[in-house]
Amino acid sequence: MRPAPADIERAIVGLIDARVTEEPLGVVARVSLADVVEALEALKVAGYESLVDFDGTDTGELIELTYRLRSYALDLEVYVKAPVSYGGTIASIWHEYPSALMPERETAELFGLHLAGHPNPKRLLTTDGVAPLLRKDVLIRTVEEVRDR
Amino acid sequence: MSDQCEETLGVGLLCEGQHDPGTPPAGLRRAPSGVDGLSTEHLIINMGPQHPSTHGVLRMIIEVDGEEVIASEVSVGYLHRGIEKLAEHRRYDAVGTLMDRGDYVSGIMGELAFALAAEQLMEVDVPRKAHWLRSLTSELNRLASHLVWYGTFGLDTGAMGQFLYAMREREALCDILEAITGQRMMFNYVRPGGVVADLPVGVEEKIRAFLATFPTYLGEYDQLLGGNEIFQARVKGIGVIDRDMALAFGLTGANLRAAGVDFDVRKARPYAAYPELDFEVPLGTVGDAWDRYTVRMGEMAQSARMIGQLIDGMPEGDHIAKVSKIIRPAAGEVYASVESSRGETGVHLVSDGTEHPYRMHYRGPSLYAVQALEELLPGHLLGDVVMLIGSTDVMLGEIDR
Amino acid sequence: MSALGISALKVLAALGLMLGNGVVMIYMLRKVLGHLHIRLGPMHVGWKGTLQTVMDVLKLLTKEDITPRAVDRWLFRIAPAVVFIPSLMAYAALPFSDTWRVTNLDSGLLYTFTALSLVPLGILMAGWASSNKWSLLGGMRAAAQQIAYEVPLLLSVLPIVMLVGSMNLGVIVEAQRGTVLAVIPRWFIMNPLFWPTFVLYSISALVETNQTPFDMSEAESELVGGFATEYSAMKFGLLFLSEFSNQFIVAALTVTLFFGGWTLPWVPEAVSNTFGPLTFMLKTYLVIAVMMWIRGTFPRVRIDQLMQLGWQRLIPISLAWIVISGVVIKVWS
Repeated sequence: MRPAPADIERAIVGLIDARVTEEPLGVVARVSLADVVEALEALKVAGYESLVDFDGTDTGELIELTYRLRSYALDLEVYVKAPVSYGGTIASIWHEYPSALMPERETAELFGLHLAGHPNPKRLLTTDGVAPLLRKDVLIRTVEEVRDR
Repeated sequence: MSDQCEETLGVGLLCEGQHDPGTPPAGLRRAPSGVDGLSTEHLIINMGPQHPSTHGVLRMIIEVDGEEVIASEVSVGYLHRGIEKLAEHRRYDAVGTLMDRGDYVSGIMGELAFALAAEQLMEVDVPRKAHWLRSLTSELNRLASHLVWYGTFGLDTGAMGQFLYAMREREALCDILEAITGQRMMFNYVRPGGVVADLPVGVEEKIRAFLATFPTYLGEYDQLLGGNEIFQARVKGIGVIDRDMALAFGLTGANLRAAGVDFDVRKARPYAAYPELDFEVPLGTVGDAWDRYTVRMGEMAQSARMIGQLIDGMPEGDHIAKVSKIIRPAAGEVYASVESSRGETGVHLVSDGTEHPYRMHYRGPSLYAVQALEELLPGHLLGDVVMLIGSTDVMLGEIDR
Repeated sequence: MSALGISALKVLAALGLMLGNGVVMIYMLRKVLGHLHIRLGPMHVGWKGTLQTVMDVLKLLTKEDITPRAVDRWLFRIAPAVVFIPSLMAYAALPFSDTWRVTNLDSGLLYTFTALSLVPLGILMAGWASSNKWSLLGGMRAAAQQIAYEVPLLLSVLPIVMLVGSMNLGVIVEAQRGTVLAVIPRWFIMNPLFWPTFVLYSISALVETNQTPFDMSEAESELVGGFATEYSAMKFGLLFLSEFSNQFIVAALTVTLFFGGWTLPWVPEAVSNTFGPLTFMLKTYLVIAVMMWIRGTFPRVRIDQLMQLGWQRLIPISLAWIVISGVVIKVWS
């Protein structure tokens, strides 16, 4: 279920550049990369105790990180989005949400990002030397794979 | 580099970054060897990816003191196929085949998650019958998947008897699913807009024949494994994932409900025909391996109950809405999740209005279960390791994607 | 024929029995487990798959014998022999009938247990020499289990020795000849005094031979292959064969101690003696079938539970039962 955007605004009040909007996706709080740890900490205090999903999207100009938080007590979900530039660094939030441990490694690896403050900042899925696969500038190797089917 | 890096378990280096790493989670913490000046060494053993009971290609690096696990690290990625990248190069109706290969034991649920996400963007009116067929195949598939879990969980504890009995029932389910979808595992049945085919003639009788015997068999199976005192001594009180830990590690599905959290996507965020069905959500109390066992066994009974309702109340009508051959949904970003056999399977779909998804993220619930294992294993005995992997029911296909 | 020649023939006969048993028991295991698991087991080689095991032995004999580079070569090579030879030795005291036995030992029971208790030494050697951590864990488990269960195994059968007054297995069987009130066989299993003895003995014997639910040193779902992980070809075959042979010996001891050995109740002594070996084998195979049934159904206990059961339950209970049965036997006689 979707919370009222005003509640989320109240929870993360004081963060620079924070915007809360209601979109087809759900209630989305957009914060800057520097604020993301703070925003998530604030939301955890507000009752969003579980990080259910974390992923990135290559928009063509930057990589947009999406955190999906859920409060089981309130039965609400909120999305937090933060932009990060190519080759940038994400601050790990495993202190607040241990469930981010592996998804953070995966996202960093597949988008060519760096991890800060992560207890085990290794690659998760691929071996060393594999290109950041989910970036739009990395093409799938063979023609057969790309063929329009 | 090596000055700032402290060696963690196995192959990892724990490096001091800009951000203070703090205390690492229990699984990655190395305990000092030696007791009272007596020099002892811990054994670091590599379990998998070829170990017989790591449910596919899970690899664990375990540090043991005798038989007791001191630290553990989970290493995944041996089954990485790049499903998310491949989906960016497929048309919307072809992504289903990829989703099947995520959680390959319950493929329908993966397809359904993607179809639900795509439908949100397409704004298509899915016929009622399609909803019912989706629920029917989902529940059949959930039963098949849980039976695989039941059989292999017994194998993990060393019991052989129940495995092929579970396979016998699963065989019947696979036959039914084959009759409906044309495939036994990789269905590609649920498409954006509906399902591929209507129920064929004669399958209803097959399902009824299955339902006539299944509840009795389920009771027998529960007696065979859960009624065994050795099994109970093995699983009761072991691998406790309490509510706080379950939420912190993002667990969903039976692993979460075993900790007493009443959250089932089918109830909390109803989709397909679930709002119209009468079913209960089994809950555990303490969240140990026994609770996870009873919750899954209860889910099987509920699935069988739902299949009966779905067969009885199957509506008439079309099984798929009118969708164009090449689907071009509106640009936008949506998230859809379903209750799969292992928890909440989510699809985060970004569309740019072309015939290919711009970005498809597939949330596999097992990824979250498997990282909870890192935290869970220390303090348990080596014999419990495989049992705990079995009790969390991880599926490597959806971890590595 | 010289005495030496007869002894050699007897040893050869025991060896033949052991190998033959192995082949039969593997086939039996497959069939019993198969039917427990609603499948058929081997069906294609020979009638109902009877030649399957023979083919498997041939396969094991012709396979490449791989010795991994890191192993302790000497120990690695002799370990299968150290497992195999005591297992063969244990056949010496078994009474197949009143005349059919390799030797007539007065301390037959003690001798058989001694021979069996050498087996884990070989398993520990195999586990250590393999330089594989799984093998090592398997070997260590075997040693721990051995130390814990040797004592209750021997203690558990002492009441029988007290009643019979001999450790000679033949004498123990003779004591069970005939019937009580012409209906109930005089088998020790029919004597309520020995019911706890039987339970204690069965548990200890299952542990001693690494059978499910106590197959800790192999534990294929935990330890890959346990102590046998690095072994291939006939070395593995020997380890495998001794396991079945131990199972046979324990089943044979069960028959000897509790089910009247080669004797048959309700029939004249001459008839019973004539069919002695046949009766004995049939009874033994029935016991083995029950062991396989347990193997096909039960989960495995955890190592700490196993140790607790041994040290905290079985040893005190065995000791207590020796005292109780001692008093009962004294009062009765």
